[in-house]
Amino acid sequence: MHTVEFQSVSKSFSDKNIIRDISFSMEQGEIFGLLGPNGAGKTTLIRLLLDIIKPDIGKIYVFGKPLSPAAKNRIGYLPEERGLYRKTGLLDMLVYLAQLKGMPEKQAHLIAESLLKSLDLYQYKNKKVEELSRGMQQRLQFLSAIIHDPDLIILDEPFSGLDPVSAKTVKDKILELRASGKTILLSTHMMEQAQTLCDRILMLNKGGRVLYGSVDEIRIEHGKNSLVVEFAEKEDFNAIREIPGIKKIIESGKSVELFPEEGIKIQFLLEELVSRTNLLRFEQTLPSLNEIFIETLESAASE
Amino acid sequence: MNNCPEKTFIVARHEFLKTIKRKEFLFMTFLFPLLLMGISLLPAVFPGTSPEEDQKIGYIDLTGALEFPKSIQSQGFSPGTSETETSVKEFVMYREISDARQDLQAGLISSYIIIPENFLETGTIALYSPEKEASLPDIELSAELSDIIITSLLKDEVDDPVLNRIRDPVNMKFYNIGESGEPSEQGIAEIFASFGLPILTAFLLLFSIFSSSGFLLRGVTEEKENRIIEILLSSVTPSEILRGKILGLGAVGLLQIIIWLAAVTLGSGYALPAKIELLTLFLALIYFVLGFLFFASMMAGIGAVTSSLQESQQIAGIFTFAAASPLIFMQLILTDPDSPFSVFLSLFPLTSPVAMLARMGVAAVPVYQILASLFILFISVHGVILLSSRLFRVYLLMYGKRPGIREILKNIKTGSE
Repeated sequence: MHTVEFQSVSKSFSDKNIIRDISFSMEQGEIFGLLGPNGAGKTTLIRLLLDIIKPDIGKIYVFGKPLSPAAKNRIGYLPEERGLYRKTGLLDMLVYLAQLKGMPEKQAHLIAESLLKSLDLYQYKNKKVEELSRGMQQRLQFLSAIIHDPDLIILDEPFSGLDPVSAKTVKDKILELRASGKTILLSTHMMEQAQTLCDRILMLNKGGRVLYGSVDEIRIEHGKNSLVVEFAEKEDFNAIREIPGIKKIIESGKSVELFPEEGIKIQFLLEELVSRTNLLRFEQTLPSLNEIFIETLESAASE
Repeated sequence: MNNCPEKTFIVARHEFLKTIKRKEFLFMTFLFPLLLMGISLLPAVFPGTSPEEDQKIGYIDLTGALEFPKSIQSQGFSPGTSETETSVKEFVMYREISDARQDLQAGLISSYIIIPENFLETGTIALYSPEKEASLPDIELSAELSDIIITSLLKDEVDDPVLNRIRDPVNMKFYNIGESGEPSEQGIAEIFASFGLPILTAFLLLFSIFSSSGFLLRGVTEEKENRIIEILLSSVTPSEILRGKILGLGAVGLLQIIIWLAAVTLGSGYALPAKIELLTLFLALIYFVLGFLFFASMMAGIGAVTSSLQESQQIAGIFTFAAASPLIFMQLILTDPDSPFSVFLSLFPLTSPVAMLARMGVAAVPVYQILASLFILFISVHGVILLSSRLFRVYLLMYGKRPGIREILKNIKTGSE
């Protein structure tokens, strides 16, 4: 059973296609990245998933079924546009939001208190939200998404506006959640975060699916298939020219980029290099998600 | 959709508790009746303010034909106390205007009057008083002078009973024929009870409906403005939010109007000589519930469509004005409660709660009209709730530009898309 499954989902608003024929699935226990430039349809896709808006065509399954009120209780949501009741006390607000997710009041109270403690907000528990600093509000908002112990957590730009310390707290919390078997949908355009955190991604552009799959596979797929090597001595530069199966060599300062011929195993090249040179560094270059992202968008724009 | 009614109640409870802690609510609910009570108690607390003081009045009679008594006692009614106040006016005769003026300046008399020689032809009497006391036209003195002049002129011409009738020709008393067929005298208390209280109730009703549906409007716009609505929608359905809010704030309004009615009932036993009819109370509550549902769901719809508090209040203002219009036409309703216009106002759903209660205050409204107005209101409530919950679903998440009327109408037709 997929935790989330979209089957050919499309949605348009007043003749503008926001989501075009999107299919993907999310598996339990993974961090799934939803990437794309602004206006690509990430937030719309999340709202479709949450049944806040309905698709024009296509089917959406959450926990194996169309979303039911009971299943909604198993989802936590941190929207991109942050919203909290400004004049309500921290504890009251967390308890209210947890109750709306079907958690009994007493239990919500206990959990809210322990969560506030874990993010150093306990001493403000009776303060109004508007009295908190921005960073604290962000942390509080994050708590409101996970207070009811959801199985599926949807985080829309969770790091935006966070200082480095808060960002690390949130990041650790996300990894902790994955370790305990929760499924996390992480929507972001911060590619470094996505690259380090996500297991698999879906990249949208103008409502369509442009990339989908595991982060590692995508990076290998988009790799130029080159190797970066570095030697201790200058003479070694000549030695590599004797290695068969290299179609191109680009020297750049101390390091050299090698482009192997089609069908040449990396393992073979490594062995050759080790036997002929004094090797300091050997690295298979994989493009960062950021590079793939920009490359994909540029090729889409030029089409 | 009805799988989780308890979420509706969670929303309702939250809205209720949040609102009754608001300063505006506490102010309106508790200070308003205190203010009313204060106004009605003021004369009792300061008894010396309104009653007449004893006065000395000089007079110069140039006709020489009038007979002034040495003094007269006048009885004044002061509101707030059941006793009547008595004050004494002494009349002092002067021959020369200069003497009277001297005494006035010396403070020996409070004012003097001059009856000119041609008084019989013109009927003019001049009253002189010190500059500082630019007194209001003294109606009481004018009535007393009339009595003195009638007595002086006719004393020897007619018998005493005739004289009394000329001085006080008609003494009206008012009777109601009740269900028993026995006539009963109508006192001030009864007139106030049947006339003033329904109007007061109508006012309170309007205030309460406005304030609680105003809270609703503000709540929806606030949630939209600070985007928490998105979190709410990920947990509950739009109609659960709508129903929860209406329920919670309806309870707030009901609490408010019960406090007010209790204050009026308690206050009426103390300060106002009146009693409240249970039927009026009961109808007031029914009109409150229906009127509130009507307005609240309308406000929710407006709140969903608009994107800022200011904008929503402007649009809501149009409807609020329409609903308050019976107050503008109150004079018309009270003087001619059975005119087609008054009947229309008491049937039209925007205005019916206030207009009907006001009409009931001054006339026996036929039962079928009350039922018809309740029925129309009831049907309208259903219509507005249906409409608003559709708007709620479509527009809650649309920020920025307010949709045009045509687009709204289209979306109402297509419904839940």
